[in-house]
Amino acid sequence: MTLARTFCFLLIMTFAASAFSQGAAKPPADSANVPVATIVDNELKIAEREFVSAAEAMPEDKFNFAPASLNIPGSEYKGVKTFAEEIKHVATTNYEFYSAILGEKPPVDTKEDNGPATIKSKADIIKFLKDSFAMGHRACLSLTNENMGQNVPVGEGKTTRLFLATFATAHAFDHYGQVVEYLRMNGIIPPASRPQQKK
Amino acid sequence: MKHLKQICLLLVLTFAVTSFAQDAAKPAASPAPQPAPTIALVIDREVSIIEKQLVDAAEAMPEDKFNFTPESMKIPGSDYKTVRTFAQEVKHVATVNFMLWSPLTGEKPPVDINKGNGPDSMTSKADIVKYLKDSYALGHRAAKSMTAENVVAMVPSPFGAGQISRLFCATFAVSHAFDHYGQSVEYLRMNGIVPPASRPQN
Repeated sequence: MTLARTFCFLLIMTFAASAFSQGAAKPPADSANVPVATIVDNELKIAEREFVSAAEAMPEDKFNFAPASLNIPGSEYKGVKTFAEEIKHVATTNYEFYSAILGEKPPVDTKEDNGPATIKSKADIIKFLKDSFAMGHRACLSLTNENMGQNVPVGEGKTTRLFLATFATAHAFDHYGQVVEYLRMNGIIPPASRPQQKK
Repeated sequence: MKHLKQICLLLVLTFAVTSFAQDAAKPAASPAPQPAPTIALVIDREVSIIEKQLVDAAEAMPEDKFNFTPESMKIPGSDYKTVRTFAQEVKHVATVNFMLWSPLTGEKPPVDINKGNGPDSMTSKADIVKYLKDSYALGHRAAKSMTAENVVAMVPSPFGAGQISRLFCATFAVSHAFDHYGQSVEYLRMNGIVPPASRPQN
């Protein structure tokens, strides 16, 4: 949404300013020494902040909301995920991709597209999401110039750690874009799109 | 949408099979370890995934709906004040693509950035879709310029003072586009159009 971009750019600029300051204190060539792990982790932080704040903004009694229930004339919403399923799906995919990077066993059955059916309450779903991002930070921070291009097993195939780390963020943003529409349908402006307070 | 993960994994598998096939073509007495792809190929694959989804979504929207915004539906209890139209969503993604990828190739963005919204004068579906496609052509050139050595190199920020890394520019453009892709598919569904990537696969 309109101000989500502003937020992203602010974070980018914060990062840029930080990197610039670090560079300014050293010879110019050293300004290039921001590790891959930090770069990828910063991208994840943007997605995490926007997605978690969106999840927290939805009232618990709307967690099973799906746009089909609005019966918008002429719309086509058959079979789309509920708000809760959107969040659980992102978390589950996070676990699948990040556990592959780390070489760990996923803590949940990642074949279940929307995660465990037993996770139902808002508190439990948000914890499930936050824990997946915590694993994400561990995964991103494990990346190095040497290992980012190495293939690791995921699903039935293999791909690189760098693809998994960066595409997990992209995947979360896909569903974030949908989730903000669900919020607006319920009269809730996504936190990242609200007017920023002047400091 | 729900098929994205499957598409992603399919592409992963396709890539894995391709790599394997290349291996099989080489004379090898024993199974050789699968070669890792180049960084350029990894990033180019991400660009290709979002390009396919977003271009297909843009092409799926009829021209007379390009100025659609959910605000016009007056959904009871909703809050859609001042959100972008479908056309503005697409133009915004293309413009930010140009902003983030241009520094990687050293090219100058070809159009008026207009605070990330792209040229106001661009209004037809054909021109907007071409603008989007051209931004992805740049994305592929930018991806191909990436190496394991230069990913952490800094480039001037397209958003003002400071510098940002080449890797951030290359991959955050993909994430940013997916954010707006997710919104665009809701716009499509509000108009009775199932996004092409979410239609049943043959």
